[in-house]
Amino acid sequence: MADNGVVVNNPIRALGLDNKAGEGLQSMGLVIARAGLGKTAILVQFALDCMLLGNKVLHVSIGQSVDKTRKWYDDILSLLTDGEKIETIPEILQNRMIMTFKETSFNKVKLEERLDDLVKQNIYKPECLIIDGYDFENNDYASMEELRGFMADHGLKMIWFSAVSHREDTRISANGVPAPCHEVDDLFDIVLLIKPEGEAMKLDILKCDDCAVHPGTTLQLDPATMLIQKG
Amino acid sequence: MNRDLTKVRNIGISAHIDSGKTTLTERILYYTNRIHAIHEVRGKDGVGAKMDSMELEKERGITIQSAATHCSWKDLDINIIDTPGHVDFTVEVERALRVLDGAILVLCSVGGVQSQSITVNRQMTRYNVPRIAFINKCDRTGANPERVTLQLREKLALNAHLLQLPIGLENDLIGMVDLVIMKAIYFDGDSGEKLRIEEIPAGMIDAALEKREALLDEVSMFSEELMEAILDGGEIDTALVYDAIRKGTTKLEFTPVFVGSAYKNKGIQLLLDAVEAYLPCPMDVANFALDLKNNEAEFQVTNDPKDPLIMLAFKLEDGRYGQLTYVRTYQGHLKKGDTVYNSRTGKKVKIGRLVRMHSDEMEEIEECGSGDIVALFGVDCASGDTFTTDEISCSMSSMHIPEPVISLAVIPVDNKAQINMSKALNRFTKEDPTFKTFVDHETGETIISGMGELHLEVYIERMKREYNAEVEVGAPQVAYRETISNRADFNYTHKKQTGGSGQFGRVGGYIEPLEEGDYEFVDSIVGGVIPREYIPSCDKGFQKSLVKGSLCGAKITGVRCVINDGAFHAVDSSDIAFQLAAIGAFKEGYMKAKPVIMEPIMKVAVEGPSEFQGSIMGSINQRRGMIIGTMEEGNYTVVEAEVPLSEMFGYSTTLRSLTQGKAEFTMEFASFKPVPKSVSEELVKKFQEEKKNG
Repeated sequence: MADNGVVVNNPIRALGLDNKAGEGLQSMGLVIARAGLGKTAILVQFALDCMLLGNKVLHVSIGQSVDKTRKWYDDILSLLTDGEKIETIPEILQNRMIMTFKETSFNKVKLEERLDDLVKQNIYKPECLIIDGYDFENNDYASMEELRGFMADHGLKMIWFSAVSHREDTRISANGVPAPCHEVDDLFDIVLLIKPEGEAMKLDILKCDDCAVHPGTTLQLDPATMLIQKG
Repeated sequence: MNRDLTKVRNIGISAHIDSGKTTLTERILYYTNRIHAIHEVRGKDGVGAKMDSMELEKERGITIQSAATHCSWKDLDINIIDTPGHVDFTVEVERALRVLDGAILVLCSVGGVQSQSITVNRQMTRYNVPRIAFINKCDRTGANPERVTLQLREKLALNAHLLQLPIGLENDLIGMVDLVIMKAIYFDGDSGEKLRIEEIPAGMIDAALEKREALLDEVSMFSEELMEAILDGGEIDTALVYDAIRKGTTKLEFTPVFVGSAYKNKGIQLLLDAVEAYLPCPMDVANFALDLKNNEAEFQVTNDPKDPLIMLAFKLEDGRYGQLTYVRTYQGHLKKGDTVYNSRTGKKVKIGRLVRMHSDEMEEIEECGSGDIVALFGVDCASGDTFTTDEISCSMSSMHIPEPVISLAVIPVDNKAQINMSKALNRFTKEDPTFKTFVDHETGETIISGMGELHLEVYIERMKREYNAEVEVGAPQVAYRETISNRADFNYTHKKQTGGSGQFGRVGGYIEPLEEGDYEFVDSIVGGVIPREYIPSCDKGFQKSLVKGSLCGAKITGVRCVINDGAFHAVDSSDIAFQLAAIGAFKEGYMKAKPVIMEPIMKVAVEGPSEFQGSIMGSINQRRGMIIGTMEEGNYTVVEAEVPLSEMFGYSTTLRSLTQGKAEFTMEFASFKPVPKSVSEELVKKFQEEKKNG
């Protein structure tokens, strides 16, 4: 596990999610925003939180390269540690594996196949899964249900997704979850929306079944770093 | 010097072995009138092809030595450079690839995309080199250019489209249909030198129209004018199509594919036309230099011949008349007799002779300008040096040279071999900054070190073949390092005052880990407890201690030595006494500073069919590797990992048997990392035993 300072100072604590996994709960989360607003930065913060607590993370990046994804981790980790050299960082990074797929080739069966390669040979057994770039527009409710089942089947503590919303698509669920996820929002335990407001960036908690903060709460994001601000 | 740079192309020709690259180059030289007769690679006349490279290259199927040649096609000047392909020659690859503006990727119409095609394509992508593909050997049984084009898309992820359709295939290949001008082209004359342009054969019109429509659809993405012209539905101006293809190609978003048979003299002239039409000229490519006066800040070179000269030496060759240095000019111009500066050494160099190379022949020239690739005679420099005029101080390549990661002992068999080996090593170290050599003072053996097994094997072979230096070779050794992980104090007195002139020196201070750099010496002595004249002696003593660590005998790096206390004797203190005191002090502090052994970690990329992904990952895991990520591209998967070099010996054989020979891997040095405890214990034990056995 990392130096305590890094774990305690991790801004993701502001959501109060960390106790859930310890209680054996499984959760599926979603970060939704328009293109280019920093969804990956938020997902990487969740992933790093998981890694810092000694859990293994599988980061599935759809349509992006391994190098680009890795760079996100380097940048966020450097911000969390204030650029200081933390001795345990090499150990922390052993808790991360990146898998990239093309947009057209990703599905649950393929993911399962790849994961089996790792688990059966005892190479890597993830506890947290990040799926960045999942195509919600061209996948239906049943596919999402399958992925929820996947979490249970593989004993994952959490899965985090990212989704792109579009300004012109005004469809919205009762919880305030915008399209294209408005019809699958019941499958998620947590839904966060990144919202620019003038110069500021905000993180709206649209849904959070077991968080320390209540739905309707808004957290501040540092627009320069996309780190969640404490307090 | 006024030269139209739009009429210059600096290109590379890359291919998997036996795709016909040499035959193609031979035809290019023939059609551009550089040679007046065609000689085949294994022709009956025994002459051999002009650009036929080293025997070693042919045996191993890799390019080791870059060669450069120049030719003219119509009003176009083409410089052709061969590039080394293997990552072990990493610095050479980088320098050769950066002098290219574009490339022809040659593929066999039967073999298709093969392992080396994947490697060279990956390198071209890494260095942003626009390329056109040439599907050669369409006269061979089993030729299938359509399938190869599909492989270009699926295996290399290139947006590849045929710009020609072959008229006939295998033995029946007689010409091709050009989908841009919509004509059939045939090659008459003894060597296919006469082009005959006719209407498309009736039986091929439908296929040609269909392919052309798909092609226009694709390339219209790069040109609004073309898209409008297509939507208007009228006659489409050929110039618009050329322009759109060129835009897509130079942006690396489109790969035009040509077909032909170099051996049967079919399609080469059209390929040369394509070099002009679709590959970038020096003006189209953004090249960057590092400003040495401004912390190596990057700036874009101008290509303007009127600006101060910037020229990169990318290749050295030992010629009959001394060192021949291949250079590429990025801006400014150079005349015979000019004086330039070597930005690495700061030395002035007068350019005595300027030549344009044509394989092993040369042509004297008076001047060269921006975008040119020429050779200099008698200039003493190293590969990668940048030449400028005195107005600027910049470098085309970073001064950072990666540290060697592997070494082995070479023992000459006799005196003659010893002399020849020295000559060869002297040459190689100059050519390649990642190849190093030194004499181990304990064993008296000459050690060579470099970036990988293949790197060293190639130099040993070259020693034998080019310098007639027969050597015996030791087993490859990983270049371990030692470093400290804690701060530790020392206070050591060196005292020898019995009989004769005495020795006395006391050194006090501490050592601590140094994050960046190998070694730092800090003098914090106050009050003259160690006289000024002995401070350098302490520094020297510490540096001597770093040569061989006490854990496994490896070089010690990453140490700061601080002295803040000491004592001297008016008569018995001397330079040697303080050197020995510093050595003793370091020894005292070293073991307290928790030393660790570091090993080279390689960044490994294994590429193979997705069905073998599990086996590939298993094999990496068994080698203490850490899988960074996997990348699925079509039916292929790339597994990226970091693996200790010591575990990678013989991996190619394992990988071959695991994947039925369908996967390949590349590796390059990533960093030094501490070895696990069990490995450390083993290395220490081995070193102790070696010491005991003398």
